[in-house]
Order: sequence, then structure tokens, then C-alpha cells
Amino acid sequence: MTKVSYRVILVERDPDLLSRMAGMLKADDAFDLASTYHDAEAAYGQSSVFRPTLFLIDVDEPRAVELIPRYIKSYPQAQVLGLMSQWNSTTADAMLAAGACGCILKPFNSADVKEALRLYKRRGKFLPTRTLALFSPKGHSGRTTLATVLAIELAKKSGESVGIIDADLQFGDVAMFFDAVPRHNVVEASHDISLLTPAALENYFHPVGNGVWIMGGPLQPEHAELVEANRLIEVVRMAGSLFRYVILDLPAGFNPISLALAECADTDILISMLSSGQEVRHMKRSLKMFHMWDSYGKRVYTIFSGVQQCTEDHKRKLEGELGRSVTMMLPEERRIKEVTGSGRLMKDLPEGSPYVEAVSEFAFALIGERR
Amino acid sequence: MEGHSSIIISVFSTSSGSGKTITAINLAAGLAEEGYQTCLVDLDLQFGDVMGYLDMVSDFTIADAQQAILKDEENFKIDDYLTSYKCGDTSFSVLPPPREINDAYLISVEAVEKIIRSMKGFNFVVLDLTSVFSTLNLAMLDLSTVINYVGVMDFLPAVKNYKVGYDTLLRFDYEESKICLVENKADSERYIKSRDVERLLGTRIYHNLPSDAQAINYSIRMGKPLMYCVPLSPLTQSYWQLVSRYTNRTKKSRFAAQQENVKKGPKKILSWLLGEDDWLTADNTK
Repeated sequence: MTKVSYRVILVERDPDLLSRMAGMLKADDAFDLASTYHDAEAAYGQSSVFRPTLFLIDVDEPRAVELIPRYIKSYPQAQVLGLMSQWNSTTADAMLAAGACGCILKPFNSADVKEALRLYKRRGKFLPTRTLALFSPKGHSGRTTLATVLAIELAKKSGESVGIIDADLQFGDVAMFFDAVPRHNVVEASHDISLLTPAALENYFHPVGNGVWIMGGPLQPEHAELVEANRLIEVVRMAGSLFRYVILDLPAGFNPISLALAECADTDILISMLSSGQEVRHMKRSLKMFHMWDSYGKRVYTIFSGVQQCTEDHKRKLEGELGRSVTMMLPEERRIKEVTGSGRLMKDLPEGSPYVEAVSEFAFALIGERR
Repeated sequence: MEGHSSIIISVFSTSSGSGKTITAINLAAGLAEEGYQTCLVDLDLQFGDVMGYLDMVSDFTIADAQQAILKDEENFKIDDYLTSYKCGDTSFSVLPPPREINDAYLISVEAVEKIIRSMKGFNFVVLDLTSVFSTLNLAMLDLSTVINYVGVMDFLPAVKNYKVGYDTLLRFDYEESKICLVENKADSERYIKSRDVERLLGTRIYHNLPSDAQAINYSIRMGKPLMYCVPLSPLTQSYWQLVSRYTNRTKKSRFAAQQENVKKGPKKILSWLLGEDDWLTADNTK
């Protein structure tokens, strides 16, 4: 006989649905249905006597979402899962922000609940998702290298899961850096997103190990046209239910995709590689576009890669030219180029090298920040 | 291309940093030096580098040209919106990208097509494109006589993108003969050899450009095309060969003269190789 894992309180307005879902839970020994309610307020007030470990709460009602922080505070031993009749990213984000472990669609079967709880446990801390968009004015900036190394370092330092979405839709290289051949890609995910739940979206990500998952770009550049920005944003938001950190490798320059995703992220990282001497000018031009978001509390970081002399003097010089602080300078490193180019990034990341050390410190600082 | 007499060379790639702008500038300069009326159009509308690399400023940009051509196409004169780059007796025209990124958004593909079609007075029009299959780039590739498809094969993902880009061009029905594969930084010690790339692509590389980062940096710093500041660099020589491929003119006389200079002036070559500041410039070579 399976050991009872969860003492459940089920809240659902619709009596038929309530009875159907209650039946599902009763039929599975992993769940002990302690009580059912039609109203989230009543459930909140009366549940303490049952010492629940899992709340399944209908969140189609906005009032229920507002109550979630109180549930989290009053029942610290319990996990909270929202129940939705249709996936709603805004509600899902609000649930994660309130400290719940996410949402599932209703009516559910008991396997859906177990799968959702497994995914949320793997995701990491029950804190809001950090979405980091990596933008570069021009290509050949070291953007994908930073995205991938940052993902590895974030996963390592936080112990939480990290998903990279290759949004460089024509010539994305993320999968190649890990020598991976993902079965699905970002075009398929964007196409299917209205039919997906986080558990289904997980199949569109390819695990590359050590807590990092990737969603590859399309195989043919013309498929990029099939991706609508608003659908891709839905993919990014749903990915937040799977990963504590979602890293977006954007296409170079400003286009509808890069602008939409940079706007949807909570942190924008601008990167440019020093080579011809025009890079500071490009960065300044780009920052004009980010300025507005910057002043609305979004974090905007500026990074220069390919720096030959990573000294404080050089940094101050760059800051003087740029007119704002430079977050980090990344040195040019042959070993990094070797491991990314040959797909051995995960296996042979040169730990302790100046490049990896710098990214590692940055990852540590990001982990310490609250969204 | 009906009724259009200029030869349009688009410089395209599928990976940034592969030397498109340097190639476009040096093609334009070489063609102008050969006596052809040449116009260089910077179609990296957001972050174009042509003006920076040539140390130029201009009062007019493609945004002004668009405004004028849409207002009165019949009386539109492209010359009013071009800036001339002069070095010695040679000059070529440049159509700069918009000054502000917001203006870049307002550039329409139809207007750019009209602007390029209005450049009938030029023998050659060189287009510096971005590394993406955008509507604008595809429209320009359609207009082009040849596609100078540049790639650097020192990084496996870049080779993948070069292959993907080439296959896409063929899938989009661009004639194979129109696509000129130009390998940049084609040095022999690379672990990915040219012949491997040719085998992968199933076709021959049209032209190989050697690596000379020092010459390129100097050229950018001086704000001059390679031939006016580092004429003896192997890269400059290679650009001359590429120019002659597009003009169908032999460069024997020029090379003979330059070889003569090489024999006469070993000190200068040596100083260039050693990176001393005794570069051959437009002034002291003419």
C-alpha cells in the first residue's frame, strides 16, 4: 500500500467539478482528502483543524489569488497549487509570486498533481521566477557564451533549475554549445503554447545536465517567421513555472522578438564585444531604448566582452565613455571558445579561469537579488 | 533588375563579425580606384559602422532619402543624399544609415528598393547588409547582381550558420552562380580547412581573404580603406583580387607595380610586419 504523502484540502466553486476531482484524489492512496470547500475564504478559516499539507485551490476567482499570501503565511507546512480551467500566465505568475508552487488545469487526475509537485520541487525555491534577457546590439558579442556559462553557474551556485530559451530564431547556437540535438524547438513550443501546461512544456526543453535545460532554435531560418512575439512571451512565462531562472538568448539588434522579450524580462543584460572601437557607441544607442524600463525598476546591466585588459582603470574609462556603470568586463578566453565551439561546454568548462570566475561572481550577485 | 544598369553587389553573412563592413568598404574603394562610379549603402540601419570606419559624418541619411523619394519620386535625385568619401583622386559615395534607432524602424523596404533603383548613374552599388534573413535583406538580395556571402570558419557554430545560410539561399531560389562564397580569415593553420567547408557546402569557395587583424585595426583607426593605409597587406592584395573578379579586369599591371615597390622598399614592408608606426599611407604611396 502506498504511503499517504499529502493531506489535501480541495477548494472548487463548481459542485460537479468538486465531486469529480475529489473522487480522483480519493482513488489514489498518495492523497488523503481531508476536506472540500466551495469557497477559498471559508477554506482558509477552517482548514487548520485538518493540518493540511496540500491545498488545491480554484484560482479562476481573483479573490482566491488575493488570499494565497495569507494561506502561505498561516499554513507554512502546506504547499499550495492553483486550479485553472484555462492556463492564465498572469494568474500563474501571481501564484508563484505569492509563494505557491504553481498551477494545474482542472479537472485533474492524481498523476497531474504529483507531476506538478515534482516539477515545482525541482524548480527550486518557491520564489518568483527570475527572467534574464541577454541583448546585444550586434552579433559576435559573446552573448550566447555568456547565456550558457551564466546558466551553468546559476544552477551550480543556487542548486535550482535554469532554462535557456534560444530566441535567436534564425541562427541560434545554444544547442550546439552543449552538443545537444533537442527533439523540439522554440517554434513548436510557440505554436503549441495555447494547448500546453508546464508539465507538457517540459517536453519541449532538452536537459543538458547539472540543473540546466535548453529550448533550441528552429532548424531553418525561415521558420523564425512562424514565431509570434506574444506566443513566445507565453512560452517564457510558462517556463517560469518549470525553472527558477529563465535565460533568454535574444537575436542581435532591435526587432519585434528582441524588444518584446527584453520588455517581458525582469532583468536585461546588454553585452557587446570590444573589437572595432564602435562598441561603446552601439551600447549607448541601445541603452536609450532600455532607459525607460530602467527607470521603472527593471534591472539593466551592461557587460563588455573580449576585453584584453580587465583592469579597474579600463573599466572606469569605459564607464566614462558610456556615461553609466559597467557591470562586468569579460576577458577573451581561447579555452571558452574551444569548449563552446566543440560542444563540450558542460563537460569541460574551464573552472577557475578568469572568464568563468567573472561570470560566477555575477551569478552569485544575481542569486542574492530579489526580484 | 529590369532597366537597371548598375551592378549591385550585396555583402551578406549569417554570422556577425565576419567582416561584412570591412569587405563592403574595401570593395567600394577598390571599384572606385578602378575608375568606376561606386556607391556604398550601409543597410545595417540600427548599428551601421561604415561611417565610423571611414571616419565620416554626414548631414543626410537614408531616412532623408526615403522621405524625399516617397514625397516626389519623379524629381528625386539620389545625389542630394549621398556623402562623398575622398582619398587622393579617388572618391566613392556613401548612403549612411539613419542617425537614430527609432528612425531605423521607419525605413520601409519599398522605399529602400526605390532608392537603390534610383542609383542608375553608378557602375557599382555595394550593399552592406546585416546577418539575418530579414524582409529588407531578402529584397536587397533579390535586387543584387551578385551576393558576396562572407563567412569566418574558425568556429563550428559559425560554419553551421554558413551552411544553413547557403542552403537557405539555394532554397530561396537564388542562382548558385549569383552566390559568391567568400571565406574570411582563411588562414591555413585553422583546424577547419577550406576544403572541409567546400565538402560540407558541396561547392567551391569563390574567394579566400587572409587574416590581418592588425591591418584592419589600423584601417579603422585611420578611417581609411585598407588600400590607402596598408596597401601591401596580404589582405589588401586579396581585396584587389576580389575587386578584379567582379570587374573582370586583370590586375597584372597593378600587381607588377606593387611587386616593384616591394623590391624597392623592403624597409617599409619590414616595418609594417613589425607593427612599427611607419605605415604606407595614401599620401606616401601616390
